Amino acid sequence: MDRRRLLIAGKVLTVLVIAVVLQVFVVSQVSVLGVTADLFLVLTVIVAVTRGPLEAATFGFVAGLVADTAYLQPLGVRALVYVLTGYFAGLVAARLAFSGPWGVALLAGTASFIAQFVFGVFQFVMGPRAAFLTMLGTQMLPEAVLDGLLTAPLYVFLVRVRLLPRAPSEPAGPGGGAT
Amino acid sequence: MPRNKTTWRRSIFVVLIIASLAILTVSFRESDSGPVHAVQQFAAGLLSPLQTFGARAAQPFKDGYEWVRTLWSAHQEAERLAKELQELQGEAIKLQEQAEENERLRALLEFREKGTFPLGTDFVVADVIGKSPTKWQAWIQIDKGSADGVQVDQAVVGATPNVGEGLAGKGLVGKVVAVTPHTAKVVLIIDSSSSVAAKVQGSRAEGIVEGSVTGRLVMDYVDRDVVVEPKRVVVTSGYGGVYPQDIPIGIVTSVGEQDVNIYKEIEVQPFIDFRVLEEVMVLLVPSASGTGG
Repeated sequence: MDRRRLLIAGKVLTVLVIAVVLQVFVVSQVSVLGVTADLFLVLTVIVAVTRGPLEAATFGFVAGLVADTAYLQPLGVRALVYVLTGYFAGLVAARLAFSGPWGVALLAGTASFIAQFVFGVFQFVMGPRAAFLTMLGTQMLPEAVLDGLLTAPLYVFLVRVRLLPRAPSEPAGPGGGAT
Repeated sequence: MPRNKTTWRRSIFVVLIIASLAILTVSFRESDSGPVHAVQQFAAGLLSPLQTFGARAAQPFKDGYEWVRTLWSAHQEAERLAKELQELQGEAIKLQEQAEENERLRALLEFREKGTFPLGTDFVVADVIGKSPTKWQAWIQIDKGSADGVQVDQAVVGATPNVGEGLAGKGLVGKVVAVTPHTAKVVLIIDSSSSVAAKVQGSRAEGIVEGSVTGRLVMDYVDRDVVVEPKRVVVTSGYGGVYPQDIPIGIVTSVGEQDVNIYKEIEVQPFIDFRVLEEVMVLLVPSASGTGG
């Protein structure tokens, strides 16, 4: 691993540490409209937009394990969800070139909704029966909006402090992504 | 080599998926004391102080947020509570009224059971529905009349909250002076036209208790040589044909003598507080029992 890659890995790791600290200290303590933002997922999407699907999937994997540990859930559930989210968000971002903060926010909101949908299906199948449609209105949609709204300022901040690069404004070629 | 890069990327993605599923499977399948759970619990143990600290640090901000959030609904809530308070105050007043009425009726009942009324006396409980508009007269109007058996010259008794130390609050009110089918007028014993044949318990003093426009009760026509001490109870003597005997009237508060007067002047404080009289009982005394003539 050359020095440049090491630097990128260090920055992404820093983002992860920031995510853990912020999620544990701040975000999980604040409930808006009855829901709490998912900073790990938001950052996974931001990494996907700025770094590409592979880095986002890796970030999501580690962030998911940390989240599962923090929330004392079966290990691997969120890791799986975030890996899928990061990878596909990265692919979509590469093709559609979400460079502006509100574009990233829209992608994060959508990704949040899909991730929660998958998570909800998982809960529905594996866990105790949940009122899926009720959760759609009271959990999935509000959290998707909240995650989206949180994404824009966080993306701007992380780019400003140069922990992450600005998202490419041009769509990548087939199979492309930021590296 | 883009193709190799894509392959590499997909391989990593697949590895991550497989790793997630593997961890997930192990996490579900192994017991709580298994290695994955042990690692998770160890890591959670490291994070828990952070979470506790975070919760404490965030509490003031949460409280602040909650304060701001509830501010929006506080106005509506205040309006609702004010309305509710008004209703509850109305309820409380009603309940208080009922409780007081209950207490008064209970006192009347007690008076009826323990009073020394002639045998066979029946009682008509009536509400006070009107009072004399001036102090020149002292009368009340009650909501029972001839249709209920009320007749002119029947004695009326009552019970009110105690008016002073040692006073029972139960005693003679007056007599019926006019009757309609459903109402009656009762002249109070404190009216200036009222006179009640009475005696002082514990002595052989007998006289007439008279009312006055000032509301004072004075017992007159008691011989000067009869010894009367303050704090003695004054009751009806039964003479005069209206009031049955031994109905409490009041208590002697002062005994006076004047050189020019051959009788004592005895001031009596009535047991009844006529200002707060709301229920009374009309005594329907059977004619055979008599009222002492």
